[in-house]
Amino acid sequence: MTSPGSSPTIAVRQLSKWFGSVVALSDLSFDIGPGVTALLGPNGAGKSTLFRVLCGLANPSQGTVRIFDENPRANPDLTSRIGIAPQQERLFERQTIIEFVRLAATLHHIPDPDRAALLAIETVELDPADPRPLAAYSKGMRQRVKLAQALVNDPDLLVLDEPLEGLDPRQRLRTIELFRRLGDEGKTVVVSSHVLEEVERFGSRILVITQGRLVAEGPFSAIRDLMDDRPHRLRVGTDQPLALAAGLLTTGLVTGARIKDGWIEVETSDSPAFRRSVAVVARDCEARLTEVRALDDDLESVFAYLVGRR
Amino acid sequence: MKATAAPPNFTMATFMTVWKVFVRSIATRLRVAGLSLLGLGAVALGLAIHLSHSANRPNAAWSLVDSFGLSLLIPVVALVFASAALGDVAEDGTLVYLWLRPLPRWQLALGAFGASVTVVVPVAVLPLVVGAAISGGGWRIAGGAAAGGLLATVAYSAVFCGLGLRVRRALAWGLAYLLIWEQAVARVSHGAARASIFINTRSLAAHVAQHPPPTNAVAWTTGLIFPLVVTVVALALTTRSLDRGEIT
Repeated sequence: MTSPGSSPTIAVRQLSKWFGSVVALSDLSFDIGPGVTALLGPNGAGKSTLFRVLCGLANPSQGTVRIFDENPRANPDLTSRIGIAPQQERLFERQTIIEFVRLAATLHHIPDPDRAALLAIETVELDPADPRPLAAYSKGMRQRVKLAQALVNDPDLLVLDEPLEGLDPRQRLRTIELFRRLGDEGKTVVVSSHVLEEVERFGSRILVITQGRLVAEGPFSAIRDLMDDRPHRLRVGTDQPLALAAGLLTTGLVTGARIKDGWIEVETSDSPAFRRSVAVVARDCEARLTEVRALDDDLESVFAYLVGRR
Repeated sequence: MKATAAPPNFTMATFMTVWKVFVRSIATRLRVAGLSLLGLGAVALGLAIHLSHSANRPNAAWSLVDSFGLSLLIPVVALVFASAALGDVAEDGTLVYLWLRPLPRWQLALGAFGASVTVVVPVAVLPLVVGAAISGGGWRIAGGAAAGGLLATVAYSAVFCGLGLRVRRALAWGLAYLLIWEQAVARVSHGAARASIFINTRSLAAHVAQHPPPTNAVAWTTGLIFPLVVTVVALALTTRSLDRGEIT
């Protein structure tokens, strides 16, 4: 994911992380360079653990992580080049937004922390003069506060754990635009998400992680194709399941069919073509079609498929 | 947006910033109010001794310092505040907002420790000194309370800061340590007494107060040096934990 010859911002090799007998990350290897990279995976896939290891908050159990060619655990100074927005919601609840972001600026040794804090807060479209403590902020506002403190030191690497969660549609759009702009400026922006449609809008490269394993990586379009080309399971409702199942098997679009509780469950690798032909076959069989429904269009099924093909 | 960061190093401004965050984090109204009542207990006891018109005021005043102040008040108040300093932020995940900054880790440990001392002194040490002073036991008793109390605050704060970072339910573990080691084992075993913050600080307090050495007392120089060594070692271990441990 980096241009040939250039050193990646993030280089991960054979990374594994386990907690007791629970394996959270298993043998991950990848590079991430400038631009927006999305880390896609269902909840509990290991995204947050991976982020924590990338930022040096946790030790790898095995393997190596290099950020700007350095070990993030060994060098606290490296954090001056990193901005992180963790997933957890808690902030310093008694502080105001300006206090919280200025704290980050001060600890980053920025010469004018007040100005840096103001700029960062304005970037995420919040009010720096808001006198309320952060405890009074909504989830969406907290997300933007976390983003502001991550941006305050103008980092070369931004690591953002589910940063769109809780944002309203307009803010979502603005935030995605911001990520794209930062990526275009040559910064490395790593964003995690469990929402496929969200990731699509980043226009980014993606890493798909599930059950702690990297199951796919590449440009979004390639991953999308991979997901669309996978076998799909559909449920077909009819008054003549036997006749219709036999008819469907003759189309060549169906790789398997079984009748269960009066329904037909079919497996096809070309879902759109199957949907077009099923009505024709039903008419030819003089069967009444009552339902055609995908059984595995949710993201979990997509991830399960990707795990299975590894 | 560009605001170039200076090379990271120790500055008083960043240290004060960290210290303020910890002070604000640990000094919740509930904690300060609840533990101030315990502190005010020392003043009330001092007043009661004063009003008793007893000829044995110096001994009663010393009991206030020894049996209430150094045995209970200061260790418990230090435990509550110091274990919360790093423990609370580690528990709720906000430690990342301090840890992921270009700061030497010892600065975080020192900031948390400093915050604890800052809060424990007015909540526990000051009332103890006031109680000893008004008891009528003499100014030396108050001096002993101040010396022993300050030293105990420093040592316990350093130990409990680290405990709060390393273990969950630090309050329970800390209370167990105070009850079993400091108040039971160290009182009966002369060997264990040498490794007890309570026995050492009490020995120093007795020396300053010119009170007869209590049971299992150590030399006043040991009483002064041992808690300081404990403080330095505890802070070093806390820094090491911040450096090598996993940050939640």
